[in-house]
Amino acid sequence: MKKLKKSIWIGIFSVSSLALLAWLAQQPETARAILPPASGMVPSTPAAVAADPLSPAMPDAASSYGDAGFREAEAGLSPSARSGREIWFKATAGNARFHTYTFQQRVTALIDWYGVLRGDARDTRFKTWGLINDPGCCKPGADGCPAKSYDETYGFDWCPGDEALLKFVGKPGYRDPACDFKDASAAASDPDGHQTGREDSCNLAFGTSTGALGFRKFPNPRFDAAVWKQVNGRLGTWEGYNRKLSNDPARADHKVRKLADASVEPPFLIGTACASCHVAFNPAKPPADPEHPKWENLSGLVGNQYIRVSEILISGMPHDDLLWQIFAHARPGTSDTSAIPNDQVNNAGTINALINTAQRPTFAGENVNRWRKVAACPAGAKGPDQSAGAACWCEPGKPGKCWEKSVKAETVHHILKGGGDSIGALGAIQRVYFNIGSCAEQCWVNHLTDLRQLDPQARNFGQTPFDIGQCRRDCPNFRAIEDRLPNLLDFFLTAPEGQARDLVEARANQRQAAYAATDLVRDLESHFGKDSVSRGQQVFVANCARCHSSGKPPFETVDFRAIDSKSGLRADWLGNDVPTPVTEIGTYRCRSLHSNHLRGHVWEQFANEEYHARKTVAGILEPHDGGRGYYRNVSLLNLWAHAPFLHNNSVGPELCGWGGDKANPYELYRSSYVDTTKPGNPPLAKDKQPACWQYDPSVEGRFKLYVASMQDLLNPAKRTPKATKVDQDIVLDIGPRIFDGKEEKRLVGFTVRVPAGATAGNVGNFRHKDFIVDLVRAKLKPKEFEARLATVLPASDAKKLAAEMQEIGKAIVSDPDRLVEVVKEARARTPALWQVYSSCSAEIENDGHRFGEDLSDADKNALIAFLATL
Amino acid sequence: MHAPLRQEHTPDPMCCGCGLRPRRITKGNDVLRLAIVALLLLPAVLGLSGCERIQGWFAGKPDIAFAPYGDTYASKPDFAQVEYEHPIPLKELAKVTPKYLAGLEQEQLDQLYARLGSGPIPNGAFDGEIVFPRGSSGKLRAAEIIGGLKGLGVNFKGNLLETAGETLWKGKVFYRDQKVLRNRIQDLTALRPVIGPGDIPKIDVDGKDAWLLFPAKLYCGQSLIDSRRESIIIDYAFTDELHGYRERPDFLAGRRGLKVRDEIRMVRPGLYLGRAYMDHAFILNFVLYNKDLDQAGRAEFEIGQVKDDCWSGTQTRVVASR
Repeated sequence: MKKLKKSIWIGIFSVSSLALLAWLAQQPETARAILPPASGMVPSTPAAVAADPLSPAMPDAASSYGDAGFREAEAGLSPSARSGREIWFKATAGNARFHTYTFQQRVTALIDWYGVLRGDARDTRFKTWGLINDPGCCKPGADGCPAKSYDETYGFDWCPGDEALLKFVGKPGYRDPACDFKDASAAASDPDGHQTGREDSCNLAFGTSTGALGFRKFPNPRFDAAVWKQVNGRLGTWEGYNRKLSNDPARADHKVRKLADASVEPPFLIGTACASCHVAFNPAKPPADPEHPKWENLSGLVGNQYIRVSEILISGMPHDDLLWQIFAHARPGTSDTSAIPNDQVNNAGTINALINTAQRPTFAGENVNRWRKVAACPAGAKGPDQSAGAACWCEPGKPGKCWEKSVKAETVHHILKGGGDSIGALGAIQRVYFNIGSCAEQCWVNHLTDLRQLDPQARNFGQTPFDIGQCRRDCPNFRAIEDRLPNLLDFFLTAPEGQARDLVEARANQRQAAYAATDLVRDLESHFGKDSVSRGQQVFVANCARCHSSGKPPFETVDFRAIDSKSGLRADWLGNDVPTPVTEIGTYRCRSLHSNHLRGHVWEQFANEEYHARKTVAGILEPHDGGRGYYRNVSLLNLWAHAPFLHNNSVGPELCGWGGDKANPYELYRSSYVDTTKPGNPPLAKDKQPACWQYDPSVEGRFKLYVASMQDLLNPAKRTPKATKVDQDIVLDIGPRIFDGKEEKRLVGFTVRVPAGATAGNVGNFRHKDFIVDLVRAKLKPKEFEARLATVLPASDAKKLAAEMQEIGKAIVSDPDRLVEVVKEARARTPALWQVYSSCSAEIENDGHRFGEDLSDADKNALIAFLATL
Repeated sequence: MHAPLRQEHTPDPMCCGCGLRPRRITKGNDVLRLAIVALLLLPAVLGLSGCERIQGWFAGKPDIAFAPYGDTYASKPDFAQVEYEHPIPLKELAKVTPKYLAGLEQEQLDQLYARLGSGPIPNGAFDGEIVFPRGSSGKLRAAEIIGGLKGLGVNFKGNLLETAGETLWKGKVFYRDQKVLRNRIQDLTALRPVIGPGDIPKIDVDGKDAWLLFPAKLYCGQSLIDSRRESIIIDYAFTDELHGYRERPDFLAGRRGLKVRDEIRMVRPGLYLGRAYMDHAFILNFVLYNKDLDQAGRAEFEIGQVKDDCWSGTQTRVVASR
């Protein structure tokens, strides 16, 4: 029996339990949609819908709410840019299945879509989640709203198009509005087959708005009204579905919510369009009430500085759960876009402001291995079959629509924070759709790391490369987007909402009176000192322009306000996008260690040859080869409107929706201020924590935040250090339980406790799989293991770490409950442990970028004044 | 369609895997017994591999190609490409036997599974067989992994589980209309100490008794190995909501116990290949077989008329070539 117990213990230990350590690193990203089998999108007339006594009465469309505002905002755009705008705002490219099924069941992170989008919380949606309300939607029962009760809308807002959509909840045959999408003419330069053979627009998958811009809903044909009523009591709420199962901590399921029951089909599948993260308030024309903006207050390209993407994507998890504690820590306006593919690098970054794109620096002569449009495949080419490995492929049934893959020198952008997504603007835009879940099931989920998979021989132990050719072949949503990428780029390049909005314009709008540049300079100088703006330009030229100008030196002669005659935009993008070693910038390095674009990793095909061949940066502790270790020099355009600063919004005041009151269940803010004078950098005492700043998108609110953030930036010695901490103990009971008729008892296993105060990034960045595999190696093949360590460590460190790993193995086996402590103690004795098994061990998130700290206070003020004019 | 429930037990010594007392299980150790039962309930057990009469139902080894692969995870080919380059003709699927499946390495099982569709959600009683993961050495994959831990003072014998499984379990019964599944136990006496007193629903399968325990929900859902199309999910997480749930021992499989979740795809009507997970960690494969359904569905299957109940993805499946 003893022997058997040991066997079971091992089974648990080596397969399941230690796998739970994987959770110590789990972090999400975003995703895609194709409707369930019976639904399909029907490119024909809507099916007749039989009356169903369990279904709610459907409202008629006629009302003061509708799509007119969206249409008015596209006035003046070219047909191509108009098409691109509509796709940007509405197209989910099939990701509703990802956000409804894949994320929950395969990634195992639950989203409480009702908690995020419930109609009765429309008036506080911005404060809580940072979401931007769709002006065309309304709360059921409100004056003029076509829906009179939440039973009609299953608890959501009523939105344009719902008069049709709601009739198909629980029924097949919904005809997606994207089927009526008005395509612009294809580019005349495209081969004929590409012009005439665009993928069916139904596969853009619009659905209708949920009430929050960019979040789209689709009727679920599998929905069963009777089951729903049984679970929730009525149709108009999800409160039975999102309920917590128990508050009894003695029960193993006390953290579980009914959301985990995948047999319950919700009324809607929820998808996301690019606008979900990128739409926000026009800085120059903010709404009087952020909860109720009008279309004139919105921009689809400015980037949402307030959205809590991480919290939304993990909203179905309790706050004392590991996933919530490790993942839901990104600051408002930032998103860890590598979290779902999961490179185990905590690296949330800001949502880029896609402004003045026409002036963004490009890089000529970079070698890009990608697919290009051709009319036919050359004789003898590999293909034209449907093989993903083919160098040339023609789409079946679409004569003359072929693609050829090769390496060619091209002029490209460097898009991501570290310069990844460098195969051209169109390829970068397309990858955004994968980031939000498009084609997840068909193309990329199979390539991801499964954090529970500890067998190095098994699939999903690590990432494998996504194959663009396979995805084009197998996913119609990919083709629907790809065939319209030029429209999206035209939207970026030409739409007014993609133009920088200067403070002078914002103040003119605010005052509803003439307000010229000279007025702005006068007002700034009254605040920052006489001649501060002109002096600030000199300071900028001498200290900043080498990175933060797209012009060429000497910068003394550069007119940073000059207008480009071709685009009508400011000529200088105020950033050169050149990759710079993170060691030179000194900022939180984890984002630069993002590894999804490395060879052999999931987004390998979205980085060009120059990225892969980058020189290895010296002086970084953790693995940093293959293109990692750099940040591009970002734009300072409209800095007045985009504080806080740095890639993770860490420099400047912390932002919050409800004023930071932790007693408020809707307040998602958690302080990241830490005390670096004490070992382990514990959270700063509450009475010493600077207060968070409540969201204020007004012109003056942005300006005040800008000034405070600039002071923080230019005075690094005065910054209060920040490191995101676990704010509740994470307790993991590892091992199965049994029930003897009276109480639950753990059969075998142990308890892992990550104490409150631990650095969330350190937990998430711990590469538990390599660690576990090496524990075994250290025991079985110690010499070989030590030799391998010696390839990345000095020989003495390798020897010490090899011995340490043997001791760790013994200690864990003898007392697995002490697992966390054992690793922590070992790290203290042998720092090389973290060097080898952490993706990034940096803790302080608002460190670095100390440029300008030696300037006089007057010059700092001058710089602040000058940059406010750009 | 399923047999009526009864409350009696009539052991059938002719049934393979039936009537055997569990070996290496100490009667007094209820906890341990429960653990083993729970580990095995997932795939519904039965020692089909030893049943020559079942093997005799099939003839000819299927000619199924597999893409090359190595030992490392990175060497495993993309399922989408495997399916594109090596579609499995229906006539080859028609030759697949449980024995054939039991002889495959885990990667081969994975590649085969990925080329299957969900098929219809089954209805009726199925016999089952466990197929433990085998690595390229031919040994159980668990043994390969655990063997490496011997130096840490560990020893794991997978055949213990096989033995217990074959002893205690017979298969699964699908109630398609109710979206419910129940597991068949052959020898209730072995479990009685941990089940406690009370009647257990019983059905008659081919003239043999089978007690029904461990109910599960049936639905279409995500495969945890191949995302490209859905599988039929057998989920024990919310089993306590189902009619006939008994806290002891059904608790074990649920969200407070071992968190068991199975998924199956159809080889052909009446023959399904499954994968069992505990808390999302893959444990083992299993095979479900119903002779009557196999025979009844052959004609329709061979002309490609058997449809998936679940989302079948968007990759064009080529199954009828060659």
